[in-house]
Amino acid sequence: MASGPTESAHPGPGTERGDSTHQRGVPPGGGPAGERGVPPAGGDGEDPTRGRGVPPGGEEDGLLARVLTLREGSIIVVTLIVAIYFALNTSSFFTTSNFKTLLPYFAPFAILGAGEVFVMVLGEIDLSIGGTYLLAPYLFYKLATSGLPLVPAVLVGLIACMAVGLVNGFFIAIVGISSFVTTLGMLFTLEGLTLIISHGEPKSTPGAEVHVTTHNVEHVVNGHHIVLPETVNHIGTFAKIFGGGVYSELIWALVIVVVLQAVLTFTRWGLYTVSVGSNKLGAAEAGVRVRLVMIRNFILCAAAGGLVGILEAVRSGTVQPDTAGANEILFLGIAAAVIGGTLLAGGSGTVVGALIGALFLGILKDGLILQGVNANYLLFYTGLAIILAMTINVYVQRVRRGARSG
Amino acid sequence: MADAATSEPAVIGPTTAPDDVLRVEHLAKRFGPVTALRDVSLHLRKGEVLGLLGDNGAGKSTLIKIICGFQKQDSGSMFLHGQPYAPKSVDDARAKGIETVYQDLALIDELSVYHNLFLRREHVHRPLPFLANAQMKRGARKALDEIGINIPRIDVAVARLSGGQRQAIAVARTVNSDADILLLDEPLAAMGAKEGAMILDLVARLKAEGRVSIIMILHNYVHVLEACDRVSMIQDGRIALDKPTVETSVEELTEIVVEEYRRARLADQGRPGGR
Repeated sequence: MASGPTESAHPGPGTERGDSTHQRGVPPGGGPAGERGVPPAGGDGEDPTRGRGVPPGGEEDGLLARVLTLREGSIIVVTLIVAIYFALNTSSFFTTSNFKTLLPYFAPFAILGAGEVFVMVLGEIDLSIGGTYLLAPYLFYKLATSGLPLVPAVLVGLIACMAVGLVNGFFIAIVGISSFVTTLGMLFTLEGLTLIISHGEPKSTPGAEVHVTTHNVEHVVNGHHIVLPETVNHIGTFAKIFGGGVYSELIWALVIVVVLQAVLTFTRWGLYTVSVGSNKLGAAEAGVRVRLVMIRNFILCAAAGGLVGILEAVRSGTVQPDTAGANEILFLGIAAAVIGGTLLAGGSGTVVGALIGALFLGILKDGLILQGVNANYLLFYTGLAIILAMTINVYVQRVRRGARSG
Repeated sequence: MADAATSEPAVIGPTTAPDDVLRVEHLAKRFGPVTALRDVSLHLRKGEVLGLLGDNGAGKSTLIKIICGFQKQDSGSMFLHGQPYAPKSVDDARAKGIETVYQDLALIDELSVYHNLFLRREHVHRPLPFLANAQMKRGARKALDEIGINIPRIDVAVARLSGGQRQAIAVARTVNSDADILLLDEPLAAMGAKEGAMILDLVARLKAEGRVSIIMILHNYVHVLEACDRVSMIQDGRIALDKPTVETSVEELTEIVVEEYRRARLADQGRPGGR
């Protein structure tokens, strides 16, 4: 059982995110988990209850009716339908290893969607989260490599993103430029800025180094004792907390969603957010400080974009100046919020809905890959599925309205 | 005829009484090319109900919005309890005891009845600032019962309520406060006869209590004579009449408005080339 660190390495350049082979940039400690297509090892065995946090629809009529009266009800039903479809059509959907694979497919979008909900409930939109997503890890890299400790470097990076949100809010709430235009300009500005300061080169994420250790493990084969070396990858505590750990992003997402949903539903901040989105003039007449509310929410949203950028950089081990990837992530974040039942027109939205919307997108991508869909078809099917899901969403919502008023 | 066309209407300057709670002097306000208020002076005595009249576009709502801190005047000054009064915001005016029912009601459709009633005056728990919804529901129920407007469910969004019910909520929001000056901008506009009577009863009750002073914009002169102690009429951005209601009549009020209309028409015709 002797062991010792033998080398310390960054993951290779082939670990860009969004690749269709599902390799995690930083293999989670304890083994090469998450490899697609490989049946789970015995110890990692199948867990039939995995993913059944919400019982399948139709199990109880009363429950279904109650779920439908929720604002998130329709997307919960749609997500369950998709999950059940993939569970029936693929053998490995309801497995622990697949659940781990699924995590990075939805947790980042849940966080982005949560921030976006706060802006969309105002009736605005924030496209610049793609920019903060891209810029924050670079700022973090610059700060950490110039001597700042890791956690303060993260914090300063996030504060810079909040400053971006403040600037967005200033132009939208005070100058009076539409949020679409302002944040589109900010998106390009930040992406360009990232390209300038990075010279377009990917960098290794500070604090996300993978340490490889070799253990000698004793096996018993036909009564003979054989000792074989096995390599194990380790990442530091910082990396485990900030996205590198298997459940790190999930925990971040859940905590952020719970906290922000509580803020939206149970605090004055949330009340004023809904007020401004529903009736801006009326809110102002009633004494709500409309501009303050708007600026505050844009700061929150920008910070969410930056946090996801850093988490993903730590998870993948590389800081990538990939503007196209950032744009796709931005739109998936917005899609999560919209699919989750937040109206683009404002006045209404739920953070939990954004989480479920992100889960829907994650399950869709994961399930399609499990089904062996050609990588070139992935985006095509995703697009069609979003339209189909939103159509079902609309019809289920009509049922819900009927159930409510009846 | 030329005389009538050129003669200016009578303009009432600043009038005061020793027990004024609010005085407004020479207020003027322009919105770009549009002059909303030219020179408006009025006063409000303690416990009084002042009816503010005037045709559409005369500047009534602008005056209300300046008094309640939502807009700032270009010139002129205001005095509250004898002290100079220049509200920085709606919140500031509210803190000084002025509450408003706006013409557009300023209700948030997506929020429940009780959240609307307590908007900007929410009860929150301590130390975590979560909304004390149960407390607000009880308060809202009490406030609505006091007014006597029947709203069966106070946890539904106000978007689902009728126009009269919405207006009642806006009035209840104002009355259910510690304010000593209430500004009501057309509180009866969307109401049926019965609901309107309830609001007028409420105003009468408040007047009898003598605690609050009210400025109320109304269009129905019968209501004005019934509910108000005194009327001020704004015409073309100026005060054209300021009289106790007992000294005026529906006919006189109507005549002032019609006269203004005729004068304006003659002035237009008198101008070379018309308008």
